[in-house]
Amino acid sequence: MVPSLARRARLRWDDARGTHVLLYPEGVLVLNPEAAEVLALVDGARSFEALVDALCEAHPEVPRETLDGDARELLEALAARGFVTTSAP
Amino acid sequence: MIPPPLALLAELTYRCPLRCAYCSNPTDWRRYGDELDTDAWVRVVHEAADLGVLHLHLSGGEPLLRDDVEPIARAGRDAGLYVNVITSAWGVDRARIDALAAAGVDHVQVSLQHTDGARGDAIAGVEAHAHKLAVARMVREAGMELSINVVLHRGNLACVGDVIALAHDLGAQRIELANTQYHGSAFPHREALLPSRAQLDEALATARTWKARLAGRLDVIYVVPDWFADAPKPCTGGWGRQFLTVIPDGTVLPCAGAHDLPGMVFDNVRAKPLATIWRRGQDFERFRGTAWMGDPCASCEHRERDWGGCRCQAFALTGDPAVTDPACAKSPHHARIVAEREVAREAPPTLYRLDTTRRRSAR
Ligand code: SF4
Ligand code: SF4
Repeated sequence: MVPSLARRARLRWDDARGTHVLLYPEGVLVLNPEAAEVLALVDGARSFEALVDALCEAHPEVPRETLDGDARELLEALAARGFVTTSAP
Repeated sequence: MIPPPLALLAELTYRCPLRCAYCSNPTDWRRYGDELDTDAWVRVVHEAADLGVLHLHLSGGEPLLRDDVEPIARAGRDAGLYVNVITSAWGVDRARIDALAAAGVDHVQVSLQHTDGARGDAIAGVEAHAHKLAVARMVREAGMELSINVVLHRGNLACVGDVIALAHDLGAQRIELANTQYHGSAFPHREALLPSRAQLDEALATARTWKARLAGRLDVIYVVPDWFADAPKPCTGGWGRQFLTVIPDGTVLPCAGAHDLPGMVFDNVRAKPLATIWRRGQDFERFRGTAWMGDPCASCEHRERDWGGCRCQAFALTGDPAVTDPACAKSPHHARIVAEREVAREAPPTLYRLDTTRRRSAR
């Protein structure tokens, strides 16, 4: 599975509020640092497995299942709102 | 510390070829003829981005009557803003749509009046319906996001289901069904526009069914009219909290409807930086937060939820912009709203604004 950010959504750093945000039509989703870290790895080329590999490397102290579960949950929630799409590799 | 605004509504021009009876633009729009030029708008967009604005809404009137929407949009996009254009589609062709896409516009909102062409044209006062549908498709073909906006009133509430299906068919990801707000030029027409409770209940039920059916494919946003909800709406997320509006001549307003309020000082971007106006402008300070409130709002548990409701509506119905919005059941003036919506059952529908019956066709 390869996740990518839907065209309708744009990820950016918001200097004024000191946070990452996801912009979409008529809305702003304020991302916590964990969510922003996952989304920054979503580039339409990296597979979900590779994304979790990268998270594991950045957080060796956290078990892989936790990182995997959290990332999966986030991407599913964003997919349900049409912000993330997934394709087979 | 005053939080930064989320969105800038840039009303590039009040000129508009349509004549919708519910239009909330000022009825004396000709007074605002001295429009900011391209450079001034680009500067405003940069100042807004520096202030923390994330969404830029290019609106009007009909913004695309100006030939410089593209450089203004480009300035917004380059500053990281999400760029939205709100259009009636009048006079727009494929070359223009492609130019907007190339300028970095993310999202185009096309207004529709009805699903039935003839009735839609009667509401808009011009022949435009078929052209709007064509333009909506062009927006998608050019790779931009599409929303369909419909302002609801008694003349089109019955087509809510059809218009949702139509929006989906056009490839929209979002449809906004907003019941008319009765201030601005809609106010004198309220008897002709106000629906009955039964019409509203039916439309709401229909919208809910479609929303569930198309979940994940089409966002159905249905804005319940506050005159019938007995609860006020927060004025654009609270006065001076999330939005700022710059009107064609450069005047900065906390809300698009606020020109008509008495006692406004009308700061202008030609004279002061946007940040100064947002943070310290008297118009913004005036109804920001809760300090200005009297009872029942001052002692109400909801005061930081709806911020006392709409100031324009309070003024339109009571003559005092600083009282509780009469849409609230706790307002001593609430009977006024109840009386108005009773009248609504009897009045015949009219579809034109009073200032014109001119008809023109869209290119
Ligand atoms: S006061 Fe608020 S709700 Fe009323 S017209 Fe202005 S923005 Fe809209
Ligand atoms: S009394 Fe004021 S704060 Fe309370 S619900 Fe009504 S409008 Fe809102």
